[in-house]
Amino acid sequence: MLEIDDLAKRYGSVVALDGASFSARPGRIVGFLGPNGAGKTTTMRCIFGLVQPDRGEVRWQGAPVDRETRLRFGYMPEQRGLYPRMRVLEQVSYFAQQHGLSARDADAAGRRWLDRMGLADRARSKLEELSHGNQQRVQLTVALAHEPELLVLDEPFSGLDPIGIATMTDVLHDRARNGVGVMFSSHQLDLVEDVCEDVVIIARGRVVASGAIDELKSRSGRRHLEVEVVGSDGTWLDGDGSLTVLDRAGDRVKLLVRDDVDLDALLARARSAGEVRTFAYQPPKLSELFMEAVTPTPPARAVSDEVAS
Amino acid sequence: MSRWRSVWLVAKREILERGRSRGFILSVLFTTLLVIGSFVVPTILFGDEQAKAIGVVEPTPPGLETALTATAGQLDQTISVVPLPDAATASAALDSGEVDAVLEVPADLSAPGTIRFAEEPDQGLGQIASAAVVALRVQDLLADANVDPTELLAAQQAPSIDSLDPQTDADQSRFLFANIGAVLILIGIFSFGFTVLTGVIEEKQSRVVEVVLSTVRARDLLMGKVLGIGILGLIQLVVFVGAALGAAVLTDRFTLPETTPGAVALLTVWFVLGYALYSTALGFLGALASRLEEASNASTPVTMIAMASYFVAIFAVINDPAGLVARVATYIPVSAPFVVPLRAAFDAIEPLEIVIALVVTIVAIWVLFTIGARVYAGAVLQTAGRMKIRDAWRSAGG
Repeated sequence: MLEIDDLAKRYGSVVALDGASFSARPGRIVGFLGPNGAGKTTTMRCIFGLVQPDRGEVRWQGAPVDRETRLRFGYMPEQRGLYPRMRVLEQVSYFAQQHGLSARDADAAGRRWLDRMGLADRARSKLEELSHGNQQRVQLTVALAHEPELLVLDEPFSGLDPIGIATMTDVLHDRARNGVGVMFSSHQLDLVEDVCEDVVIIARGRVVASGAIDELKSRSGRRHLEVEVVGSDGTWLDGDGSLTVLDRAGDRVKLLVRDDVDLDALLARARSAGEVRTFAYQPPKLSELFMEAVTPTPPARAVSDEVAS
Repeated sequence: MSRWRSVWLVAKREILERGRSRGFILSVLFTTLLVIGSFVVPTILFGDEQAKAIGVVEPTPPGLETALTATAGQLDQTISVVPLPDAATASAALDSGEVDAVLEVPADLSAPGTIRFAEEPDQGLGQIASAAVVALRVQDLLADANVDPTELLAAQQAPSIDSLDPQTDADQSRFLFANIGAVLILIGIFSFGFTVLTGVIEEKQSRVVEVVLSTVRARDLLMGKVLGIGILGLIQLVVFVGAALGAAVLTDRFTLPETTPGAVALLTVWFVLGYALYSTALGFLGALASRLEEASNASTPVTMIAMASYFVAIFAVINDPAGLVARVATYIPVSAPFVVPLRAAFDAIEPLEIVIALVVTIVAIWVLFTIGARVYAGAVLQTAGRMKIRDAWRSAGG
């Protein structure tokens, strides 16, 4: 298990991290979310010793992470980069050797992973001769070839086409099934919702929410209710301060309600107003949880404010 | 995994990637050809000087041939004397280039005669012939006046030429050696030191450095880079010096001083030290810049120091290899790599001085490397704009 414990880092007057703590479990995919400048990249750089935190510690399997431990991690930085004029296989093999593999094992692993990425025929090409998409694949291969126990990827989906996204998703699921801890940052929240089991949301250098996505959803006070009532003029909703109309289209209305809403009573009212064709009660989307978590005012009040308006 | 393996992997990558590049191979081939050419071409042009042939038209006065060869010998030249039966044959021989000059003197030495050339008169040959004829005629005259021929010969003996501090071939080679050594060290620092500088910036610009540093320590990366590029530099130096020595021996243009093996060893050691010192400085200055243009500004102080040290070496030290400037410069790490092999080439340095200079320079390299590695670690991930050394130092330490 990866434990981030109370990390703090300040650059002059800019606070990058302000006591961030969370953990990532093996075999699980963790989405690392936060607005720009929230401290995601700094956290990842702390994991790899690229940034020395002012305070706090990173632990793997209970022990502080050192250079030896990091050799069992794989990293894909946000700012991608490899040696442009180096040949693809030699490049993958070089980094695998830097992670402790023998030259022979590194070559074999490089071939195997390039094959999996569909790059077997480009093994002897120079990196700069490859398309942008294929260079991204090589970058991922470099992070994977030494079969790390922890995979940390900064914005792995940015700039990928749908096929690239599918490949990346496959690889991440495959690694997690093999017991690898996977952690990646992203701004594509719908994608994160599809791919991840857990999320960590960071804002202004602090972790503002973390845990399994399902738990976070059920813990949230927000619920969505989609109702379609034929033959109603819509007035059955009036005067109820506990719900907010988000969208109305014909007979269909989308509502934001509290999780303690009396669904039976609401359904009864809808029935009395007309013929109920749809009555769908759903947890909030991850993007809502995210907005809720990163908005500076306390989440509970934010909801009630919205409801009151 | 051991740190040394990591350092060696970095070095090996540099050697393979750069050593296989067309630029490196061409530059090694080019310099080697240049070196060999600079020895071989003069040999082809001037080395194979044939003895000049001088034709004498018969009948000749007695002793002419002896007089001609003797005079030529005095002037440190070799000539061949070709007897020709008559004036017509002589003209033909001159025309065909069989002889370079034709000398026609009456057999009784009653007149000075003539020296004819095909085109432009050869001054040297003319002088030899004139001197020989004049001497013969004077001897003849004095013999008639009953002067003792032995005394006459003795009187004609030229004064011996001697110099207080004779410049031997070995001295010349030594001077040449010292100069070439200083130039090689300067070239090593500039071409390979700057390869380290650009290599660091390329890694920064291509952003690969973040991936590398997630497994390799910054100081190991810097060390591996300096080591790998240094090995390439050394290979080039060995090829260069080998070609030069080989060509010198084969063309027989120089007498290699007996101290050559020692001098080459010393040159190699100081080439390595000079390169290590300057390339470490250039490497971490490179880390402070984010673009190549900034780097050339950042490296200006280092360039100036290297040039200044070189000029001190080739002017002050060659002029007075055991003087005060030379002694002081021996103990300054930035100038020692130029000065020590130079002084050694002139045999003007004590072994103890060499040892002290070695220790001082190695300590300086170590200190510079320790400071440089920390600055490098702090600066190398900074990709926007130029960083101050102080900020980089703090950034790495924090």
